[in-house]
Parts: sequence; C-alpha cells; structure tokens
Amino acid sequence: MNLDLIKNRNVNKNNIMLLGLGVAIFIIMSILEPRIFLRSANIRGMFVQLPEYGILCYGMMLAMISGGIDLSLVGIANLASIVAASVMIGQDGSPFSIVLGIIAALLVGATCGLFNGFLIGYLKIPAMLVTLCGLQLYIGLGLAITKGPAMTGLPEAYGNIANKLFLGIPIPFYVFVVVTAVIAFIMRSTIYGQQLKFMGTNETASKYSGINNLKVTLITYMTGGILGAISGVLISSHYNSAKSDYGSSYTLLTLLIVVLGGTDPDGGEGNVMGVAFAVLLLQLVSSAFNILRINSFLKTFVYGLILVLTMLITGYFDVRGRDKN
Amino acid sequence: MAEELIRLEKIKKYFNGVKALKGVDLTINKGEIHCLAGENGCGKSTLIKVISGAHEPTDGKIYFCNKEKTHLSPIDSIHMGVQVIYQDFAVFPNLSVAENIAMNKNLVENNKKMNWKKARELSIKALDMVGAKIDPDILVERLSISNKQMVAISRALINDAKVLILDEPTTALTAREVNLLNETLRKLKEKGMAIVIVNHKLDEIYDIADRLTILRNGQNVATGLIEEFDRKRFVNCMTGREIVDEIYQPVTSDQEICKVSNLGLTGYFQNVDFSLYKGDVLGITGLLGSGRGEIGDALFGINPATEGTISINGEDRKINSISDAVKYGIGYVPEDRLTQGLFLTRSISDNTVAASLSEYMENGKLNRNKIDRVTAKWIEDIGCVAASTEIPIKTLSGGNAQKMVIAKWLNTHPKLLILNGPTVGVDIGSKFDIHKILHELAATGVGVIIITDDLSELYYNCNKLIIMSNGESSGVLQMKDYTESEISEMIKNATKDLK
Amino acid sequence: MNKIKFKNFATTNEAIVAYTIVVLCLLIGFANPAFFSFSTVITLSRAMLITLIFAALEMVIIISGGIDVSFPAIACISAYSTIKLILKFDIDSIAFFYIFASAIGLCFGAINAYLIAKRNISPLIATLGVSSIANGATLAFLGTKEFSNIPDHIDSLSRSYLFSFTNSAGIKYQMTTLILIPIVLLIVFFIVLKFTTFGRGIYAIGGDENAARIAGFNVVRIKSFLYMFSGVLAAIGGVTYTILMRQSSPQNLMGAEMMVIAAVVVGGTRITGGHGTVLGTVLGVLLIAIVQNNLVMVGIPTSYQTFVVGLIIVMGTGITSIRSKHIANSAKI
Repeated sequence: MNLDLIKNRNVNKNNIMLLGLGVAIFIIMSILEPRIFLRSANIRGMFVQLPEYGILCYGMMLAMISGGIDLSLVGIANLASIVAASVMIGQDGSPFSIVLGIIAALLVGATCGLFNGFLIGYLKIPAMLVTLCGLQLYIGLGLAITKGPAMTGLPEAYGNIANKLFLGIPIPFYVFVVVTAVIAFIMRSTIYGQQLKFMGTNETASKYSGINNLKVTLITYMTGGILGAISGVLISSHYNSAKSDYGSSYTLLTLLIVVLGGTDPDGGEGNVMGVAFAVLLLQLVSSAFNILRINSFLKTFVYGLILVLTMLITGYFDVRGRDKN
Repeated sequence: MAEELIRLEKIKKYFNGVKALKGVDLTINKGEIHCLAGENGCGKSTLIKVISGAHEPTDGKIYFCNKEKTHLSPIDSIHMGVQVIYQDFAVFPNLSVAENIAMNKNLVENNKKMNWKKARELSIKALDMVGAKIDPDILVERLSISNKQMVAISRALINDAKVLILDEPTTALTAREVNLLNETLRKLKEKGMAIVIVNHKLDEIYDIADRLTILRNGQNVATGLIEEFDRKRFVNCMTGREIVDEIYQPVTSDQEICKVSNLGLTGYFQNVDFSLYKGDVLGITGLLGSGRGEIGDALFGINPATEGTISINGEDRKINSISDAVKYGIGYVPEDRLTQGLFLTRSISDNTVAASLSEYMENGKLNRNKIDRVTAKWIEDIGCVAASTEIPIKTLSGGNAQKMVIAKWLNTHPKLLILNGPTVGVDIGSKFDIHKILHELAATGVGVIIITDDLSELYYNCNKLIIMSNGESSGVLQMKDYTESEISEMIKNATKDLK
Repeated sequence: MNKIKFKNFATTNEAIVAYTIVVLCLLIGFANPAFFSFSTVITLSRAMLITLIFAALEMVIIISGGIDVSFPAIACISAYSTIKLILKFDIDSIAFFYIFASAIGLCFGAINAYLIAKRNISPLIATLGVSSIANGATLAFLGTKEFSNIPDHIDSLSRSYLFSFTNSAGIKYQMTTLILIPIVLLIVFFIVLKFTTFGRGIYAIGGDENAARIAGFNVVRIKSFLYMFSGVLAAIGGVTYTILMRQSSPQNLMGAEMMVIAAVVVGGTRITGGHGTVLGTVLGVLLIAIVQNNLVMVGIPTSYQTFVVGLIIVMGTGITSIRSKHIANSAKI
C-alpha cells in the first residue's frame, strides 16, 4: 500500500515539474515582455500552433508505449491534407466539400496507419524502419499529387477551422482538448489501452497471455494515422494550403515532447497528462524564443540538447533506482 | 596433493537485493572433474558467471593459481584459461559454424587477422573431437539446439583451456551424445584439464564426477569426493529434506475433460493421442526438440497443430491461435518465465490480471479495487510471499513469481492448464506448493498437463505419462504400473540412437 | 557440391538485388536506348559518390546493431564550419580542409559514442538529438549563407579527372578523381569486415551483444570506436560533397539519411544487426541511384520519384524481412 502511494507520487512528480517549469516561463515572460507576451495575438498564436504538433505527440506516444516509434506522422499529416485539398478543390469548395475533404483526410490517415501497423505487426519489420520508409512513401505520394508546390485555392470557410475563435479561443485548441480527452479515455478506460501497455512491456509475455498483438499494433498505428490526419487538417487550414513538406521539424519535436512527458522510450509506460503538459511547456518555450528574438535556429539546437539531456537524466535515475532496490 | 587452479572464498552476489549467493567457497584442482550440483535456482549459474568474469561479486575473493584477482573481466578470465559453455551457448546466430568456433581462439591469441581457411580447418578438427558432423560453412541460426550445443562445446575445446566449465551441458543431448561428451571430457581430464560440470541429474553426475560440491539457496551444503556421497545423502543435501514425496494417486472419475486424437504438427510431432479425466495429471517428457514442448505450443495455438482433433468438455475445438485457446479455456504457463511469462517491470496485480483484463472493466474504468482484492486473494490462496500487490513482480523470487504466473491463468478459470517446465528455477518449498496446487486443481476438474524433463517431478506428480522421442509419442503410460527406475530407463531408451 | 554452392550464391540478397538491377536496366534501356552508353556510367558514379561514403558508415553501424541518423548534420557542420575558417583565414589547403573537418566530425561522433555505447541510450533517439544539436548549431551560430567561392587550390580538385571521353554528339564526359575516395574506403571496409578479428567482432556484437561480451570483445570500446569513426566519415563525406558541388551550404545534405538507410537495407543489411556486406551495400546504392536518375527516361515524371523510391524501399525491406522470417521458421539442421 505504501509503495503504491510512492509510485503514484513519482508519476505526478514529473507532471508537476513540467507544469512548474511552464508556469515559471509564463511568469518570467510576463515580467520581461508583458506587452508582447500577454498580447492576445501571441496567446492566440500559441493556441493555434500547439495543437498542430500536440496531436501528433499522442500518435508518437501510443507508438512508443507499444514498444515502437512512429516517424511517419508528419508525412501522414501532409498526405491527408493534400488529399483533403484535392477533394475540396474538385468539389468546387462547397461547405459539403469541406466535410467530404475532412472525411477523406481521416480515411487516408487511417489507411496509412493500418499500412504501417500491418508491416510492423504482421511482417515484423522494426517500427523504426517501417515508419521511416513510410514517411518517404507518404511524402512521395503527396509530391506526386501536388507536383511540388503548395496546393492553394482551398475554400475560405476551410481556413476558418484554424483561424476562427470560439469564446475567444481558437478552434484548434478545442480540438486538442477533445483529442487529449479521447486519448486519456482510451488509455484509462479501454481494454486496448491496458493491452497496449502490456504489449509494450513484454511483447512475448503479452502474446503468451492471450493478447492479440497484431490487433493492438494495428489499432495503435491506425490511431496514430488518424491523429496525423487531424493535425494535417489543422495545419492546412492554418496556412489555407496543403504541401508535402509542411511541419518537417515536428518529428523531432514530438519525440522530444513524448520523452519529456514521461513516456518510456523502451515501451510500456506513458501518461497522457504528462505529454499534454510537455506540449504546453514546449509551446511556451517556443513563444519565449520568438519574443526574445532569439535566433529561431537556436530552437533546433536547444530541442536537441533537451532531448539528449532528458534521456541522460532518466537513464541515470533508472540505473540509480535499480541499484537501490 | 592436487594442484589448485581456482579458489573462491566467501563469494556473495546480490541482484536488486535478491541474494543469489550468500558466501560460497569453491576449490577447483587440476585434472579433476568437479560437479557443481544443486536444485534449480540454488545459485550454480551465478557462481559460474562470477568465475567467468561476467558478474562481479558483491563480496568475496577470487584466486587463480593462488593469486588474488579483482575486477575480473570476461577476457581476463579467458586469458587465465577458463572456458565456459553456457546454458544458452552464447553462440552467434549470424555467423558460420567455423567462425563461431574460431572466434574465441582468435581473441585469446589476440590475432588481429581473420584467417578463414585456418578457421575452417580448426572447426573441422574441433567438431571431430566431439564427433559432430556439421557443415562448418553453415550459419548457426540454421542449427538445431543440440548442434548449437556441439558448436559451443567444440569452441571451448580448441582453446587449450585449463578449466572447462559446462553449465547444464546435457539438456539437449541424446544418451549417445552424452556418452560421447563424457568420453571427451575424460580424455581432457587425462591431459590435466580441470572440468566443472553444473548439473542436477543424479545419474549423469555419478557417471562422470570425481568430486562434488552441492549448493542450496546460495550456500555451500557439502563438498567432497563422489565416493563419499551415497544416493540418499546426495538427495538429502540437494533438497535439504528427507524426500517424503508420495506418488500422486487421484480419485479417478469418468468425467472426460479433454480428448486429443491424432494430433500432429508437420516437422515436429505426430500421432499424439490422450484423454484427460477429472483428477488426471498428465506428464509429457522427452528431450528438448523431441516434440514435448511443441505439443504444449500446439494446444495453446502458438504453433497450431496441422492435423488431429482436440475436444474440450466433449466439444470439438479448432485451435488456430492463442486467442482461440484462451477462448476455449486453455491456460499456458510457458517454459521461459522471464521472457514469456512475466511483465517484469509491472506490479504483481497487473501481472495477475494480464490474461483476464476484460473482467475488470466496469463502467468504462478499470476497477483497481477489484483487481487489488483479487490479487491479494490469489497471493494468499497460492502461498506467494509478497509485501504488497503493487510491487514490481521482478522483486519476487523465482518460486513466488512462478506462482503468480500460475495465478494469472487460474484467474481466467481455465478448463485445461498446460505447464511447460513448471518448476524450473524454483526453490524446493515453492516446488512442493506448486505441485500441491496442481493436484487440487486436477481434483476440481481442471485438466492439468505438465511438460518437463524432471524425472521425480513426473514420477511423483503425474498419474499418466507420455514420452516423446523424435516426434513420436510412446502412448499414454499409467504411472502406477512402473517404478521410478523403470521410468528413468524408458526415458533413456527413448532418447537413444535417434539419428 | 558445386551446384549447391552455386544455388546458395544465386539466392543471396546480393544476387537478388543484382537481378533487379539487370531487369531495371533492360527496362530503361528498351524505353530509351540512350541509357546504354558510357555516359550513364559516369553520371551514375557521380550520383553515387557521396551516398557510397555515407552508406559505408551506415552499413557498419547497422551491422553492429545500431543506427545513425546524425551523419548528414555532422557532415554539414564539419564541412561548413571548416570552409568558413578557410575563407576567413585564406587557408587554401585540401589537407587542412579534410583534417580539420574530420576533427569536428570526431567530436560529434564522440557525443554519439558516449550516449549510445556508454549510457545505453537508444541509438535512434540519441543520434536524432545529436543531429538536431549539430544542425541547430550550424544555422544558429555559423549562419545560413551559402558559399560558392571555394579557394582555387581546393576547387581544382573538383576539376581533376581520372579520364575523360567525348561521345558522338561531342559532349565531353569526365570521371572525377574524387570517386577514388569511396572506392578506397569500400575496399578497406571490405578487408576490415571480412579479414580482421575487429571486423568480425562488429558482426558478433550485432548478432548477440551479450555473447560478444562473454566471448571477450570489449563491446563498449568497439561501439564507441564505430560511432566516432562514423563522425569522421560523415565529415569526409561532407567535405567531398562541398568540393564536388563547388559550393558549401549549412544544410544541403539534411535528409540524406533516408536514402542512405534505404540503400543499405535494400542491399541486404538487416536492420536488426549482424548481417550485411560491402557488395550488397554497393548494389543497394546503385539500385537506388538508377531509380532516382533514370525514372524520367521511362516516362515517369519527376514528381513521382520520391514515391517510387519509397515503394522500392518498402518492397526491399519487406522482402528482406520475409526472407529472414522464413529462415527462422524453416526446419533446423
């Protein structure tokens, strides 16, 4: 019983730390640059941008909990948005076409995810290789459709999805909240969510416990694909155009956030709130960089550094914890 | 006086707080065959890894030729002339037989160059020494288990070792191969090599050993010349108690639980027939690769059978996948507890419900209280020693962890429970408990199948027996018709001259 | 006996890739006979030059059971920072270019080595992180300007040719001297991997790391060396690319890891480690180069290129894994 409490407290510690860091940055920035940082345009900008990669993070998180990785999410996002754009342009941009386009995007996402899941779960090709190849394939398909340049001329109403406010907050943020809730529900309240953790901890033992690993893998990457598609819709709506190489920096960012959010890179553990907090934190960092006019390339550098340091620190505590036992 | 090669003093080794060795002494002399005996899980393998430099001891002293060695690394140990053949052979699946054999010699001699022609010649010579006929150019991943073992033995032999350590060398060998191996070992002994054999099979120990050290629960129990041990003292030292095992005699019933006819899996086994009635415990034995484990795998849908029928409680069932098996009420305690049975980093309660998750999903939420209650109940019912339901299962001892693997399946209320090596690496007390649980299960009408190579486990706990030999079933034998030594003889005969 | 040997040879990964290449060449050749000319050889070898250097390093890393996605970033930062130094201080020396860049590559390789070999961090995540650090550092601290004013002496290397040849239309084709770098490198790799204990140790680690440790290999040291050496090779690749293209940019190689890993895997190196040959890798690189450079000849538009290459990689990896699955399930001897 005591141990139980300690364990729960440990899980929360990471979340509290992330939240604390977020609040600290918020306060510091509010003091340093109150006029710019607290301006509604800045806050709104954060709320528009954060869902774009935040939703991808959950796809990465699921894949990582399952013991794999999904590097193709950005490719799926772009391919889905390109297909959606083709549908909408083909249908003359009527409101109905927008619905049709979004459905098409989700279908494309699910299909790509299933394809990944099939190669990983059935043919047993390592997830890293599959999704790396998948990325190439999806970008390639996107390029084949767009012939290179961005697809423009999307219906104006489509742009509203990302750019309109509801109760003063941009719509994408609501999407992010809903997705977070759904993923939290899946992880907590479905058998799949439990089986995912078991499979990620020990694939052989889960097979020997009667868990259908193939099914779990398929659902995992399909969900990832659908999340990729949702993010793709938000990105293309934000720019009101679709292109095969939008958001190419998001892969590293999602990986960083998911690890930072307390997901075990070896699989088996992960918590939705941790990832959600890490998404918020990284958006604050990014925003702070922009406002302080720090060279935006420095962000790439810092993100890489944070990723490596997080891995080193968690690795250090793992070893220490093991020795103590 | 014999010349001393290795002396270990008060070696202690703790893993995550689990005391594997609690101060063991061991002396190995030149030109002797020294058997290291003990039940599974007594610390034999750990002790070997300390000598080979794979584990650094928590405490204690190691002397090679009377010189103390600290921070021994594997290569140091090899340079000192220690060669170990591990239970998992530690061969490289992706390399050819010749290269596997020549690799260590290259390392020992610190050769920078890889000479393929020499490697091939060397490997042919070494394989000849053990009488194995294997194409040296083939990749090891394509070899059967016994041939992999041959490769491992050949590899150790060509290194002019001073001390050769074999960790359970005979698990996969036929009787003829065992004899051949023993002959080779005697020849090596004549040349002055010290040989350490880890084993727990009595007959084989008496065949070959000069001296004997017995470990129990990580401690020395007895050491001395083999002549000083009669069978009774030996068993007593190994198990730490007078054997009071009684032969399992169930209350027979005509209620059929499971009937298997003409079961076969192409390339592995064929024509397996048996039926289980309420109260029956069926034992299946044979060498590794004889088809004994494959029957379990087939019944559980891991490698589904290609022919034959299975009926459970009188209904014909087609088992094509693990999901099918679980659906029809079959549980399987796998052979390799660590990789196949346990989710090591997860809590005991998680492990307990891993196969029956859906029962705890209530109103869109996992009912944690119910899980904890059920786990606590199993911990008590099954006699597991654990501080709480929430500690990671890897902190449990082998015996307690194995009990929880069994509990995982009992929690699915199985109609048929198959146990592959149920007491491997399990201490004697837990072993006794587990057998008792199985008997109680059988009495309540659960079909129980034990797959094992442990003779006494079979003899005292099963009332029916199938001996597998090269994929062929012996048919169902009634245990009460035979004595222990007759069974032992039959198993030996079944494994003779397979090839 | 010879017949069996031949059959074994005819079904190796290398052989399958070779058949694919032959079939592909015939197809392209039928669609466009211009393909069968000596100029194709020269174009292809120029296209393969840099990929071969990177593929060699990636192959060794994958054989050892790891992966390295940081080499494009390391190649960029080493070549770009050195060229900036060269331009600033007017050091017109090929040797300095290579040596100084290699030293920088070595430093980044050492970071990889520390994270992966010493701290046991997953190679993919570690090298992704290092890639981001190197790339971010280049752009943030060194700038984004592209340089095409390579000093004369260094630049002269791009205009030195082994031989040249003029076709009937009067177009001159020249084989660059730089091709010697990957050739020498691959020969050395072939010898080290095949005929040294160290080389076989790399295979051993990829096959079973624990068994390799028990056998007496110093696994940490070998892996450290590999990642450090990989950093040096990345730098050499970056420098060679700069000379070949006659310009230096801070991130023109970014994204190259995709093609390189693909070429290595298509060439029969198993991503799970332990298997892979120099010949296979060369064939893999050749296959991808032919596809990339000649699809236009058979009438496939350029925009489909990425997709077709992706498809080939997926098929290549699929076939490799089905084959290894088949071997694992086949009856044992």
